[in-house]
Amino acid sequence: MRGFPTRQILLLLVLAFVPAIGEALYFRGRVSWQSPVPSSERVTVEQAKSWGSRVLWIDARPDREFAHEHFRSALSLNEDRWNEQLPDVLAAWSPEKLIVVYCSAEGCSASRAVAERLRKEAQLKNVFVLDGGWEALRAAER
Amino acid sequence: MNLFWRIVDFVVGGIFIYAGVLKAMEPIRFASDIENYHVIPWALGVRLAFYLPWLEILCGAAVIFRRLYAGGLVTLLALTLVFIGATISAKVRGIDITCGCFGYASDNLGFIAHLALNLIILIGVVLLLRRTAVSTEARS
Repeated sequence: MRGFPTRQILLLLVLAFVPAIGEALYFRGRVSWQSPVPSSERVTVEQAKSWGSRVLWIDARPDREFAHEHFRSALSLNEDRWNEQLPDVLAAWSPEKLIVVYCSAEGCSASRAVAERLRKEAQLKNVFVLDGGWEALRAAER
Repeated sequence: MNLFWRIVDFVVGGIFIYAGVLKAMEPIRFASDIENYHVIPWALGVRLAFYLPWLEILCGAAVIFRRLYAGGLVTLLALTLVFIGATISAKVRGIDITCGCFGYASDNLGFIAHLALNLIILIGVVLLLRRTAVSTEARS
């Protein structure tokens, strides 16, 4: 190796763009490029509150955080106790309900995971993830 | 001895091609795995999820076919160091992650297993780089 193989590295870095761009074009309709949750599956605090009593609030945070403080009428459903808590959620659900799942804050991922499982495993529709999570909800309550 | 190093080439290159193909098949899943590290924003992570697997495949192929060989090895070294750094950083921050290094095939691997695997790959890449440097010096 005479010196550092800068040209080879640059060539490889550039070449990798070709199939990557091709694949990105192939997947372009199925990927949410700006947020992990597609905009059609997200809801703001204002929107969710405007739905009134049709909303079934789900708190995806760990038990201790739920016990400490949670949104009124929210049910706890987290991945740690999924099997124990799911029956309560299903009992409270009805077809006209809009499910809004929240976790701690914007950066958390628990709400996404729970929403995904509600759609796939419980076969529920109209499941949304709350923008800003509990932080935004609590701020709006003040 | 040359046969030994060719075998190491095939093993190291093959591992990266395998890992790259698994991730290229499921880029959205890989994007979620990157997101779980909480290091970079989703908008960047999802783009990397489409790019990195192909970079791994190309570099793996470069090592196996001995074209752009040194460049491929240096790039794989950098990628491996980034993977190791991200894995340790996530552990330190208490984030429970699947590393996503091998797509669905790595779902059940714990932190130690991930780290051990990455370190073995790192050793392989470093040995190949060292061998390349030594043989080039001997020729010149």
